[in-house]
Amino acid sequence: MATLTIENLTKVFPPTAKNRPPVRAITDLSLELSGHVFVSVVGPSGCGKSTLLNILSGVEPPTSGSISVTKDNRPARLGYVFQDARLLPWRTVMDNMLYVQDGQRERAREIARRYLTMVGLDEVHDSYPGQLSGGMQQRAGIARAFSVDPDLLLMDEPFSHLDAITARSLREQLQTLWEDSGKTVLFVTHDIMEAVQLSDRIVVLSHGGRIHADIAIDLPRPRKASDPEVAGVQAEILGRFESMEHDAAVA
Amino acid sequence: MTTHVVAPRTWPLRFAASDAGAQTASVLVGLVLWQLLGMGVERIPVPSEVLSFFWEELTSGVLFAAFYNTLDGFTIGLAIALVVGIALGIAIGLSDLVRAFCNDIVLVGLAVPGVIWALLAILWYGFSWKAPVAAVALTATPFIAVNVAQGVKATSRDLIRMSRSFGVPMHKRIRHLVLPSVMDYVFAGFRFAVIMGWNAVLLAEWFGGRDGVGYQTRTFYDSNDFTGFVSWVVFFIVFIVLLDRLVLERVARRTFRWRAQPAEGGGH
Repeated sequence: MATLTIENLTKVFPPTAKNRPPVRAITDLSLELSGHVFVSVVGPSGCGKSTLLNILSGVEPPTSGSISVTKDNRPARLGYVFQDARLLPWRTVMDNMLYVQDGQRERAREIARRYLTMVGLDEVHDSYPGQLSGGMQQRAGIARAFSVDPDLLLMDEPFSHLDAITARSLREQLQTLWEDSGKTVLFVTHDIMEAVQLSDRIVVLSHGGRIHADIAIDLPRPRKASDPEVAGVQAEILGRFESMEHDAAVA
Repeated sequence: MTTHVVAPRTWPLRFAASDAGAQTASVLVGLVLWQLLGMGVERIPVPSEVLSFFWEELTSGVLFAAFYNTLDGFTIGLAIALVVGIALGIAIGLSDLVRAFCNDIVLVGLAVPGVIWALLAILWYGFSWKAPVAAVALTATPFIAVNVAQGVKATSRDLIRMSRSFGVPMHKRIRHLVLPSVMDYVFAGFRFAVIMGWNAVLLAEWFGGRDGVGYQTRTFYDSNDFTGFVSWVVFFIVFIVLLDRLVLERVARRTFRWRAQPAEGGGH
């Protein structure tokens, strides 16, 4: 389990054309999470959710501010689940798992097999991604992220490209995987119901990447989208969301 | 209600309507036209003469020895072109600095015709075995390098980001991500390089060889033997076509077999 500390993080992208202002994606954002927690970041499109994950994974440098991801005072290992599965199409599911792992091959294969079994893909480990449905590919992506034994798991709207039934099934699988693994998860989504169902805490971002609200979700698990408590919290957060959007429009 | 019963096509009809049927028809039409042309023009040998000459050269061992000698230099030159071309193409595709440095050099390489490389190689190496090797390598390398560089630029940004996010080391990324994603471009460049390289090796043998297919062709040209000259030209054309169809196409199919896999059953 990792400790993530973000202090005064700002990200400004240069103008995309002459006479256009720079784009401020994240503004003075500070956040801390630690231990076996599932934290979701929600917000409208363009509020800097994905940029935040890109900075955390080292793909994008920050403009200012500091980030530390540690476990027992050493740099923590990260795992990543993307919006689409991002599997190498010319490698089998098993070889895709092995691609991101280091260490001894037999041991890596054993770990890969364990996580593929957990997501129900053991039978198709020697299939190519093109032979699998979108949901199966995304499950392989989730198994891949867990298989590197990450201290912090970053998830960027992993179910947004899937149909509702598949997404619901994968959410339930993710809850089980997270509870069994004891990982720290930072989950980005625009789906408030999804965030309420999965999270211990929801961070609401407003335009410009500012924290608008930080809400603890204290509901028993496992949760289902149809639970009245989940629907109640979802309505409350949606209310805050709408008032934030209204304030932004007035401003 | 009327029911239409479609009778299954018999083998000759199925073959006639297939790609293989069309290809066979095109070869047959070419042979008939050649035969007619040979019957009308004295200095063009007809296919039957070429076939009988082929049999003579085959049974005397000359054909095998000539192709063996030519393929020796051709294969070494092509292997050098493949290794250097892929390495250079990956470096150009990955680094803006290398691209800026190599851009004009590769352009010059593309612009120099195979015959010039063949002549230069003979000037440098004389009648040595190195001349055809150098001619093939110098002609083919730029074609492979340019294609591979294009392929590297077209590598999926998403897959590169995924690899960086998981901290996949650079040597593993090149082997498992960049190389497979440029294979389409490698094959396109390689097929072209094979044809250009084959031309270069024959020219090098024509001008400065002591054996090989190019040397044999020139011997019959010099002795004004039309049947021998045309036959050897036909031999090396047929060889390059068979190499493309029987070897390169099969290797390509095997390399890209992951594309041809049938989908699994449904599932979330």
